[in-house]
Amino acid sequence: MNIKSIKSEFPIFRQKTPAGTDLIYLDSASSTQKPQSVIDSITEFYSSHYANTGRASYWPATESTRQVEQVRKNVQQFIGAKSETEVVFTSGTTDSINKLANSIFNSDLWKGRQIIVSEMEHHANLVPWQIEAERHGLNLVAIPLLDSGELDLVAYKELLEKPTALVAITAISNVLGTINDVNKICRLAKAVGAITFVDAAQLAPYAGVNVEYLCCDFLSFSGHKLYGPTGIGVLYGKQDLLNQLPPFAFGGGMITEVDIEGSSFRDSPFRHEAGTLNIAGIIGLGAAIDFVEEVGFETIQSHEDELTIDLLNRLADIEGLKILGEQDRRGPLISFTIDGLHPHDLSTYLNESGICVRAGHHCAQPLMKKYQIPASTRVSFGVYNDMNDVEQFIKALKGAYEFFL
Amino acid sequence: MNDRLKSLYQTVILTKAKDKKFVGQLESYTHSITAYNPLCGDKYELQIIVEDDVVKSLKYNGSGCSISKASTTVLCEKLEGCNAQQVLSGIAEFMEIVDSDASRNAEEITKNEELLAFAAAREFPERKSCADLSWKELQKQFNQLFPYHSKE
Ligand SMILES: Cc1ncc(COP(=O)(O)O)c(C=O)c1O
Repeated sequence: MNIKSIKSEFPIFRQKTPAGTDLIYLDSASSTQKPQSVIDSITEFYSSHYANTGRASYWPATESTRQVEQVRKNVQQFIGAKSETEVVFTSGTTDSINKLANSIFNSDLWKGRQIIVSEMEHHANLVPWQIEAERHGLNLVAIPLLDSGELDLVAYKELLEKPTALVAITAISNVLGTINDVNKICRLAKAVGAITFVDAAQLAPYAGVNVEYLCCDFLSFSGHKLYGPTGIGVLYGKQDLLNQLPPFAFGGGMITEVDIEGSSFRDSPFRHEAGTLNIAGIIGLGAAIDFVEEVGFETIQSHEDELTIDLLNRLADIEGLKILGEQDRRGPLISFTIDGLHPHDLSTYLNESGICVRAGHHCAQPLMKKYQIPASTRVSFGVYNDMNDVEQFIKALKGAYEFFL
Repeated sequence: MNDRLKSLYQTVILTKAKDKKFVGQLESYTHSITAYNPLCGDKYELQIIVEDDVVKSLKYNGSGCSISKASTTVLCEKLEGCNAQQVLSGIAEFMEIVDSDASRNAEEITKNEELLAFAAAREFPERKSCADLSWKELQKQFNQLFPYHSKE
């Protein structure tokens, strides 16, 4: 698949926006557009072999079950897990973290220890831990940010001197774009016996995932940020840990024996997948993984890096514009503020040129407070973006300067 | 520049957003209202002096987009000196102006150009919450400001 013509794989770009322009989509960090192959896989499933999975021995149930288990294997390979039993389907990263936090901290076993997150976490990788910490008497602390937008790993090491139950960290910040040294963070945590969780929502679509390399116990990502459908995500966990954890939810499909007096539960992954799965979502996720693997992460990364570097250089010349973070390693996104021009006014202005950017606090209020800004504008790239998108954006940005300032 | 944008960001809005007349702190006040939109982060604190059932004075501080800022300025301008009944009808009028489901045209509601500027929010539903942020919060807190006033 040629990266230059990849936009044509995404039907949404064939139409004009209500403003009569081409769609210039610069919000992939929020959610990516879908290639035809993903859309087709879902249509095909509903039209040709739809049935519930796992419970029936008739066709088409056998076929849908086979496909779901095939996707599980594909996910296993995609993330470098040891076994497909380490792949639990959830509805997304937020869902994964809530379930995991709730299951790990289901008792007061960890009382008095701490949970370490960082100041750059998305609310999804902060609030669920915060709530469990409150419920079960743990202390939640955050690795501070350096002015560069990187994590202060010296401070992190100091935090680790206190008894630590778990470290939950994002691989790439959805606001700053910072790529964290997850391998190091997890190894340090492991050395003190802490459980590790990696939020790979932004990493997965940019560089793929390798749980072996990242050295984590648990990890999650969302299908919809990886060119796949909404409502599907993955929680990876080490097999023995997943089998020890109390089930995330209870109901059909996850039990071995049920009596009125009590029940026993299956092993992972079924243990944690109560009820009917998002089967179409799983099949769409499978098609999305096929898609990114066909394009190849080397290609995706170098393409998106090129756009990011180009945009960074152009933004550097613009007066009154301040880029958040000056880290060396940056994922495919840039957040910035402009003196006297509010992000929402800018994004409304850009929308009239068919340009989609994100304005707001990006679900990372502690980070925004740290930078003492109420909101910022974020541009993020996906495989379908090209230099023309960057040019149109810069042109419209200059127009906004003239209009507002 | 396109006409839709022009209608949203009329001179009125851009001017009122930069207008500092009501920006600041009152030395003392009877009520403080915080208007906050958690989805976008816009946040204003309105300080109000209510005396003898009349809004004597208002000031605001905080941050947000030009639409929410302009609308907060206009709120202060329009409601300063108003009694409970006038505040109530002022809010109702503004809410109708920005409401895309309203049955009346904005021009039928008011002839006031500064208020009419916000009618453009009808074309930008995603910006309605900016336009009515402070007004809506004031509406919610109305009973606090005027405890003896019945809405009937
Ligand atoms: C770093 C990060 N973590 C978690 C999430 C939450 O993902 P989802 O909304 O798919 O659950 C996001 C989405 O914006 C994110 O960027």
